[in-house]
Parts: sequence; C-alpha cells; structure tokens
Amino acid sequence: MMNKLTEAHRLHLLHSVLCAVNLGAIVLDGERRVVLWNAWMIKHSGLGHDKVIGADFFAVCPGLRGGRVESAIQHALYNNFPSLLSQTLNKAPFALYASPAAAARDERIQQAVEVRPIAVEGAARHCLIQINDVSIAVGREKLLREQAMVLRTQTFADGLTGIANRRHFDVAMEKEHRRAKRGGTPLSLLMIDIDHFKAYNDHYGHQKGDQCLIQVAAALAAMLRRPCDLMARYGGEEFAMILPETDVEQATLMAEAIRARTQELAIPHERNSDAGQQVTVSIGIATQRVDAPAGIEALIGAADRALYLAKRNGRNRTEALLPA
Amino acid sequence: MFSLSELENDALIEIFNIGVGQAASSMSAIVNEAVHMSVPSVSFINRAEAARLLDGKSTEPGAICGVSQHYEGAFSTEAILMFPEDKSLEIVRLMVGEAVSQKELTEMEQEAMCEIGNIILNSCVGTLANIFQRELQGSLPAYHVGTSDEILIASGSQADTVVLMLHIDFLLEKHQIHGYVAFVLDVSALHDLKEQINLYIARAMGQA
Repeated sequence: MMNKLTEAHRLHLLHSVLCAVNLGAIVLDGERRVVLWNAWMIKHSGLGHDKVIGADFFAVCPGLRGGRVESAIQHALYNNFPSLLSQTLNKAPFALYASPAAAARDERIQQAVEVRPIAVEGAARHCLIQINDVSIAVGREKLLREQAMVLRTQTFADGLTGIANRRHFDVAMEKEHRRAKRGGTPLSLLMIDIDHFKAYNDHYGHQKGDQCLIQVAAALAAMLRRPCDLMARYGGEEFAMILPETDVEQATLMAEAIRARTQELAIPHERNSDAGQQVTVSIGIATQRVDAPAGIEALIGAADRALYLAKRNGRNRTEALLPA
Repeated sequence: MFSLSELENDALIEIFNIGVGQAASSMSAIVNEAVHMSVPSVSFINRAEAARLLDGKSTEPGAICGVSQHYEGAFSTEAILMFPEDKSLEIVRLMVGEAVSQKELTEMEQEAMCEIGNIILNSCVGTLANIFQRELQGSLPAYHVGTSDEILIASGSQADTVVLMLHIDFLLEKHQIHGYVAFVLDVSALHDLKEQINLYIARAMGQA
C-alpha cells in the first residue's frame, strides 16, 4: 500500500519529468479544455499557465480550428484513436518558435505531432498532444534534396547551351503550375524565339548558329535572379521561361528587358528583317489568372499564340495573351 | 473459406465507402485539391492468397510499402494499407507537391506516408466502429517496406488466417492509383464482424 507522502512524491516526480522532457506536451479534457501545458510549451509558445490552463484549446490556438489538429483531437476524444501529423503534410501547425528572434521572423519550429487518447478514471476521456521539434531533420532532408537537384540538373541540362532542357521544363512546369494553383499565385510563361534563325543558319553556317544559341541562352539565363525562375531550351531556336509568382505586368517588363538585352548583344544578322541587322527575339507572354487557373496546355498554347502574334506584328517585339 | 451473403457484402462496401470518403475529405483539406477515394470491392482470402494478389500487381515483386495499425476492442485486427512501392512514392509526392524522384521515400516522406495511412485506416475502422456502435482502441501507424508476405507476416498471422481485402481507388490530380487495405482477422473476429454487419442491416431495414 502506498502512503500519502509517497503518492505526493510520485505526482511531484511525474510533474517534474513532464516539465523536463524535450518535447511539447498538452493534455486536453473531454471538453477540449487545456489541463496540462508543459514547460517546453511555455518556452516555445510564450504562453504561460495563467493564459492556458482551463481555457478552451481552440481559444488558445484559434489557428488550429477546423484543421487536421482538430480532427485528430476528435478522433482521440470520441473514437479513441491516435493520430499522427507529419511535418511534411502539415507545415508547422502550432505557433511555436525556437527563440524570440525566430518569432519576430515568424519562423516556426518544424513539428511532428502525435495526438493520443488518454483514459482517465472517473472522467471523460482526455487526449495528449505531443509535439516533436524536427527542425534538424527537416534541414538535413532539404540539404539532401538540394544536392539531389544539383545531380539532376546534370541530366536535365541541354547539351548545347547548358540551360535546362525540354524534360526539365516539363517537370518544372508541372511543379510550378501545381504550386501556383495551390498557393493562389499568378504564373507567367514566356516563349522566346530568335527571329529568322533559319536564315541565320543558312547564311552563317551551323557552327555560327550554335554559337549564337549559346550566347543568347547564356545572356538571357543570367537575367534570372530568383531560384524558382527557369529558362529552358524548348525547341531548336525557341526558349521558354517559367516565372512563378509573376503577374502579367511584371512578365511584360521582364519580356521587354529580354528583348532589349538580346539587341545589346549586337550579334550581326544580315538576313534579319529588322533594320538593325542584328540578332533579335520575339516573345510571347501568357499569364495564368489567379482566379481562373488554366491547364498547362492552355498556358503553353496561349504563350505560343502570343509569340505567333509578335512574329506577325513585325518581330523584335513582345505580345501577351490570356490562356483561353 | 469464410464468405458473406450479397447483402452483407454490399453493406460492408457501403460502410467502407463512407470511411474512405471521410479520409478523402481530410486529405483534400491538406493538399487543397480534390482527392477522391472509393472502395469498389472487398474480398475474404487467406494470407497466402493475399500475398499473391499484391505481388501480381507489382512489376517487381518484393516492393510493397505498407502502413499498419493494430486495433482491439469489440474485435481485434491488424489493419494494413498497402501500395506497390512506386505507387506510394507517387502518392506522397502528389500530396507533398514535390517533383524530386528518388527511388525510396526519405524519412520525412515515410512519416507522411504513415499519416496518410493513419487517416485512411482511422476513418475506415472508425466508421466501422461507429456503425457497429462499438468502441475500439488503436495503435499509432508503423511503416514497412518488404514483400507482401513479409508485411502480412509482421502482424504475426498464420498463412491460413483470413484477410479481409479492400480494393481502394485513389484519385488525385488525374492520377489514379490502386491500393489495398488488408484487415487481418482471426476466426472469432470474423464471426463478430458478420454478426455486427447483420445487426447493422437489421437496424437499417427496421428504419426503412
């Protein structure tokens, strides 16, 4: 039999252990009120016991209402099932920060969360929410992923110009298109074509033609500043540029800058219809509207039609069209 | 072999479709895209047959990825969500929205796969338990890669144990992926299940 003192000691010990563990622990009662909030939670949430104990959990963490955390709590309290919330599928649901500086930058701790039912004698079932800091593992995987990307660029590069090839374009397009749709951000696509390139090749020969492609590709690719922008060799003398989070105005500015930059290269082109007798490009611009995302084919189709329009309207110019 | 009448079979398919419907809506909420899941059929087969069925769908036998959870209470069962390994890669990457194609799931991706399994299994078993008006306890999900037989054996079942196999169709962004959920059941659990299905049918008929 256990006497009162050891019982009290045991409780005290359990409490100390809970406070000392290096993970977040929250216990909710059957009414979803906070009954336990350990020291790790206080440290990383900045919320003390006075603010949380006895309070409705969703009043303390209003951002979690209606999401995966709420359904996991439901499962634990009412179905008696535990749930796992992975870092990968749930981007840091709890507002937890490693330091005040991280909080100021709104850089949350990366979290892996488990929600388990807890049977309590003489009361409705409780649930335990455990939060693990997985920031280090996330960082490690990010590094691995980046290294894998570097390796892949070697097989994703166009043999002649060294910029992304068509396969890389297709993969990037699919990824950015999905990202734009999910994030509700605009996505622009530029189709860039060297004017009268066939005539250039016929006049100067294929070696010169290749050199022209290399020079133009390098100059234009160097204009991209953001890591998610991508310039690819789409076909013979045609290049494509994927510009995520770029609206039609920004895309038009970019296209104009590309057109001007190509002229600056001052590559002689005697067979060009342009009065300057230098290599020029025509550019078709298509921007996907945020409110009505089109399919990838529609976006590429619109950029192609815009390019055709630019050619027909005299070359060395840019035209924009909305995807149909 | 254990079998159900046509009516019992239909009732079970209906229950599981409610379950995967809930799972699909949870998953849609995560990815902000329409996710569709359905259970077109269920079958009762022994473990050895289940392994053959799974391997038959895999291009290179041995590459099966499974997420398992143990449930006990009104009846006890090991529930395992299984996909050929390449399909599990496809699902996780569609859910995560990443295009990197490594040959294996990274640790973080395995955890994501566990969560997907957790959502699907909890929804299926939860619906079953609610409809049967019984309560079950569940374990957290565990991730396995191996041959179908290895994964089914991990639950400690005998070769002649009956497996309730659900075919699951999973549709995300025009990608259709077929998978399975296996419930490994012992004889008493099977009889409990049949009894519960009949109680459910009787209640449904009574109300009609």
